[in-house]
Amino acid sequence: MLSSLYKTRTFVLTTLICLLSIGMGSAIVHAEETPASYNYSYWGDAVASPAAYRATALLNGDSLGVGPFKEPNDIHVTADKQIYVLDSGNNRIVVMDASFKPVRIIDSFDSKGEPDKFMSPQGLFVTEDKHIYVADTGNKRVVHLDSNGTLVKVIENPESELFQEKFQFQPARVVVDKAQRIYVMAVGIFDGFMEFNANGEFSTFIGANRVRVDPIELLWKRLSTRAQRSQMATFTPTEFTNLDINDEGFIYTTNGDRYGDTIKKLNAQGNDILRRTGYFNPRGDLVMSSEERTRLIDIDVADSEIYSVLDSRRGRIFTYNGDGHFMYVFGGLGNRLGEFNTPSAIERVGDQFLVLDKGLGEITLFETTEYGRTLNEAVRSYYRGDEEAAFALFQKSINMNANLEFAYAGIGKALLRQGEYAEAMKYFKQSKDQLNYSKAFLLYRKEVLREYFPAIMTGIVLIVLGTIIFRKLRQWKGGRKRAAIEQ
Amino acid sequence: MPQLNSELIKYPFYLILHPFNGYWDLKYERNKKTNLIVSFSILFLLAVTNIMSSQYSGFLVNIYNPTEMNSLMEVLYVLLPVLFWCVANWSLTTLMDGEGKFVEIFTSTCFAFIPMVIIPFPWIWLSNVISIQETSFYYFSHSVAVIWTLYLLFVGNMTVHQFTPSKTIGTLLLSVIAMGFLAFLCLLFFSLIQQISSFVSTIYQEIDLRS
Repeated sequence: MLSSLYKTRTFVLTTLICLLSIGMGSAIVHAEETPASYNYSYWGDAVASPAAYRATALLNGDSLGVGPFKEPNDIHVTADKQIYVLDSGNNRIVVMDASFKPVRIIDSFDSKGEPDKFMSPQGLFVTEDKHIYVADTGNKRVVHLDSNGTLVKVIENPESELFQEKFQFQPARVVVDKAQRIYVMAVGIFDGFMEFNANGEFSTFIGANRVRVDPIELLWKRLSTRAQRSQMATFTPTEFTNLDINDEGFIYTTNGDRYGDTIKKLNAQGNDILRRTGYFNPRGDLVMSSEERTRLIDIDVADSEIYSVLDSRRGRIFTYNGDGHFMYVFGGLGNRLGEFNTPSAIERVGDQFLVLDKGLGEITLFETTEYGRTLNEAVRSYYRGDEEAAFALFQKSINMNANLEFAYAGIGKALLRQGEYAEAMKYFKQSKDQLNYSKAFLLYRKEVLREYFPAIMTGIVLIVLGTIIFRKLRQWKGGRKRAAIEQ
Repeated sequence: MPQLNSELIKYPFYLILHPFNGYWDLKYERNKKTNLIVSFSILFLLAVTNIMSSQYSGFLVNIYNPTEMNSLMEVLYVLLPVLFWCVANWSLTTLMDGEGKFVEIFTSTCFAFIPMVIIPFPWIWLSNVISIQETSFYYFSHSVAVIWTLYLLFVGNMTVHQFTPSKTIGTLLLSVIAMGFLAFLCLLFFSLIQQISSFVSTIYQEIDLRS
């Protein structure tokens, strides 16, 4: 009886072990595929993560009842969630409300008593008081309309001695700050963004990308004659690919640089002040091969310094927090819902994402999953300094995704504030945050030393006293012995 | 016997503090066999130190990827450079009228690595109780260990081959270059062997499938 029981138990155990090992094997195989949603570990490996966003709806011109979109280039959402779509091929702007009902269509405006139209406009910006700025590329001008669609001003043929001889003003993207200064990204301009004052007069260039010189090309240039050199292409800084402005008036830009920083945050002087304290500098995918390298074409800044960038090469949208930690990725090229043909612009409406597909003339709506909501809220509370809430939310998000390494630092900081240093150290170690680990460690060390100081001090004093007494005793004994010998 | 043991342990410390006398004794006075035993123990301790420091050093000075940690490779990282160095140095100094034998070169090289053991070893534990500001002491003492080892290597080579200082520096630099050549030749050799073996196995497979 007993032996049979023993036998069955062994059998069950063996089966269990076999089953477990099968499970482990398959887990390893799964880990090697590129997961649909991923995050980068400290070591630069793509690790699986739950999806933060999920496509829920597809909008196109027909379903909205405004006729099909033709090569729409830009999209903008105001604070009260009105959506402006720049339908470049049809030379019009389609305005929708928060529930995606078309409100109006702007396809012409009154210019000095005559109706005027756009010509393949590329960029669009809407200010807080609903003034519309359009980079009317085909007409080589920037058009400023007020909230009713009547013309306020037109910026064309700007003049300055900073321009080169054959300069042509071809605005592609435009943003406006709170002081009505207009920043224009123009085609073929390498000196940075063109800044115009509120009256539409050109004031200066800001934020030029740095020239990056290829050493081999430089060598060839050194070796060639002046005549040959004049035939060669000159070293020019890379052009920007897009820009956005946040509530504080900082301009976020993307560029098509091959090396270096492709995302920048420019202050009023045009200096890059983006924080890059994540495990890797924000630049999309961490691949080196030229076919797969990320090419960023749009950027969108949300609240709490969270920003997202759009990669045209693989149709992915990467989101980073203000510290430069990679939060999540979604999208891709393909034919299913949530995949694009030629994505051209992204925009955030609250926590939703709108992705504009230029090739198909469609807008894909993405909504957060439970995981995405938690992570967004966690980052926001952390940014606000609400560490209690951040602690709980980060805790919740690592329960859903244990690979989210930067979340551990958020938990560690809350623990540090609460005075639980040893526990905080553990979390900082988990997120490879040496600086904060050291902070927690110093406090912990102080605490421990303070606790054991009496014991340590007593021990030292006892040892010293003991040695002194021992020596004295030996001397005394030795003295007696010597005395005995002498006797 | 206890006399010998304490001498065995004392002598390496004497050597690193008085390298000129120490290496002279190593070459002319001491027993070759005991030298070899001590040399291998030093190499063993060096490998152990490296393994332990990559596994147990404090988080502030050592973030290591557990998936890439391999103790056997750590042992190889100690053995291979020493072997290459000795072969390169021996090959060069034989041509340049050095008096050193291969055994002497090997033992002198191994003895030079003592600072690389005795300084980093306590730091494995100390690095667990320092803050990030205090890590400069860690890096400083490691640099001291490296410089000390290089100095010992220099003195050892000079004494073993009876070279002048400038000639010693020249041979040391040339040895480094020779190590590069050795590494290249080894790679070439192994890749050729690989090609040949794959060629033979392909032919075998071909014949096997035909019949």
